[in-house]
Amino acid sequence: MTAEVLPAPVAAPVAAPAIELAGAARWYGNVVAVNDVSFSLGAGVTGLLGPNGAGKTTLLHMLAGFLAPSAGTVRVLGRSPHRDPSVYRQIGLVPERESVYSFLTGFEYVRYNGRLQGLANADSAARVAIARVGLEDAADRPIGTYSKGMRQRAKVAGALVHEPQVLLLDEPFNGMDPRQRLAMMDLLGEMANAGRTILFSSHILEEVERIGTEILVMVAGRLAASGDFRAIRALMTDRPHTVTIHSSDDRKLATTLMADSAVFAVELQPNGLSVRTAHLSAFRRIVATSCQAAQVRLLEVLPADESLESVFDYLVRR
Amino acid sequence: MALIETAGLTKEYGQVKALNGLDFQLEPGIIGLVGANGAGKSTLIKILLGLVAPTSGRASVLGMDVAAEARGIRKVVGYMPEHDCLPPDVGATEFVTHMARISGLPRTAARERTAEVLRHVGLYEERYRQIGGYSTGMKQRVKLAQALAHDPKLLLLDEPTNGLDPTGRDEMLDLIKRTGTEFGISVVVASHLLGEIEQVCSFLLAIDAGRVLKAAPISTFTQRTSVLAVEVEEGADRLAAALMGRGFRAKQDEACVLIALEDEALYDAVRDAVADLGLPLVRIQQERRRLEDIFREAVPASAGAQ
Repeated sequence: MTAEVLPAPVAAPVAAPAIELAGAARWYGNVVAVNDVSFSLGAGVTGLLGPNGAGKTTLLHMLAGFLAPSAGTVRVLGRSPHRDPSVYRQIGLVPERESVYSFLTGFEYVRYNGRLQGLANADSAARVAIARVGLEDAADRPIGTYSKGMRQRAKVAGALVHEPQVLLLDEPFNGMDPRQRLAMMDLLGEMANAGRTILFSSHILEEVERIGTEILVMVAGRLAASGDFRAIRALMTDRPHTVTIHSSDDRKLATTLMADSAVFAVELQPNGLSVRTAHLSAFRRIVATSCQAAQVRLLEVLPADESLESVFDYLVRR
Repeated sequence: MALIETAGLTKEYGQVKALNGLDFQLEPGIIGLVGANGAGKSTLIKILLGLVAPTSGRASVLGMDVAAEARGIRKVVGYMPEHDCLPPDVGATEFVTHMARISGLPRTAARERTAEVLRHVGLYEERYRQIGGYSTGMKQRVKLAQALAHDPKLLLLDEPTNGLDPTGRDEMLDLIKRTGTEFGISVVVASHLLGEIEQVCSFLLAIDAGRVLKAAPISTFTQRTSVLAVEVEEGADRLAAALMGRGFRAKQDEACVLIALEDEALYDAVRDAVADLGLPLVRIQQERRRLEDIFREAVPASAGAQ
């Protein structure tokens, strides 16, 4: 037999997603934490969103190999991570809980993580990881003396020390101050650009929106949506789009806009016109020409419900 | 009378200077308190409550000196701590009544006041259940309720949205805003989330390495800039070229075109250029400065590693 006889499987590994769930579920007794979830993720950064208790942490723990799925399959880099240390070598996990030993220094903690992953050069790898999170100055102090933001960064360094291909972070921004948040956003972006797969959970939607557009939204154990949130918004055809427009003469512009079939409601408000349309693309093409026709000066155009916050709201509060 | 006033306020813990000559004056309102971790926020709150004595300098709350009248201050100040501090085995009603009585309210008044504040924070049937079984959002509400129990004139809230999901956060922020505006209680909100400070506060106090970094109304940090951003679904390059052809200073930034807003005629030029090219227009907006810029600009030596 030669390779030519079986061409299909040879090409497959290149396209294999880093994370793949098929019908994955996890229940604790009668409590269903994760219910029939299927998705796959490749390289890049993805935000994991959902209300408290939606199953985000359980999902991350299944991906990290802590928990076996009660039903369905969970695959990381093509293999089931549960009880498979060879997969752990490729996974970095930043858990939500305080999971650091207060009597170790930051450096020792990160080095031990490196040794746990079987690194031959744990010392130098720990130095590199500490520098990446900007913790050099405090590296030789016990973690017990750290502030919350510093402990958080020590956890991130511990998860990065073995240069994992897949990084899972549960509320990584928790306790970080504004400057540390900006640095962490940059770090996640850099690692995603370097081809790693990063999945992080967060409640701070405006931050998620700045890191990337790919999201997974969980509601009550189920996957409510996945993908680019702008594409998800576009699929919500039952939700008309609202655009706020301010011009030199809003009343005059309102009459012109109302004549267009793309528009089905216009409301005069103190800060401009609130225009509702079922055909956003069509509407976007007539805004400027309508202003020309009405002979008004166009001062401001703002999409009112296209943000991640609106999309999340529509998904969760239905 | 100033709400809070400090002069040369300094606190040293051994060799570490948590506060280093802090000078500021706050007027009543909703005030956001931000700072890097370790900047001295928690120390400041403890001093304002009269729980920790400053090493030097002075501070006063509602005209009362923190050293001389600490008890008087705590009578009129409500405090919501950041950490989980609630007893798990009592109900919210029992706990808040207890806290109100500790603040000196008679039994009947404490009960009435408890019913009132629990309703204000949105706890209804749950109030008789044990706190240990509450969700994070409900616990945060209980913490806020006990801070309000003795009808304070000032609330100190330490990270009130910590651990809340987006819905819970919105509700808590709304509650803080209502408490500040409808009840006329001044509020100091310590938070790391500049977005939520922008949403509820009218004034910002930023401290860094024990000193005042910035103290000014929020509006001064978010002023409009002289840059007009125009976002289109496609053809940003053509739009930029068209505007430059009309003599404007324009620059393409992905799907956006950023143009120097020096002349009102720019608005008409943008409208006409978009119409002539037949482009789908997403957004026209005069750019604003961002609150976070204060942390991008001023990087003190101690945080150089960042």
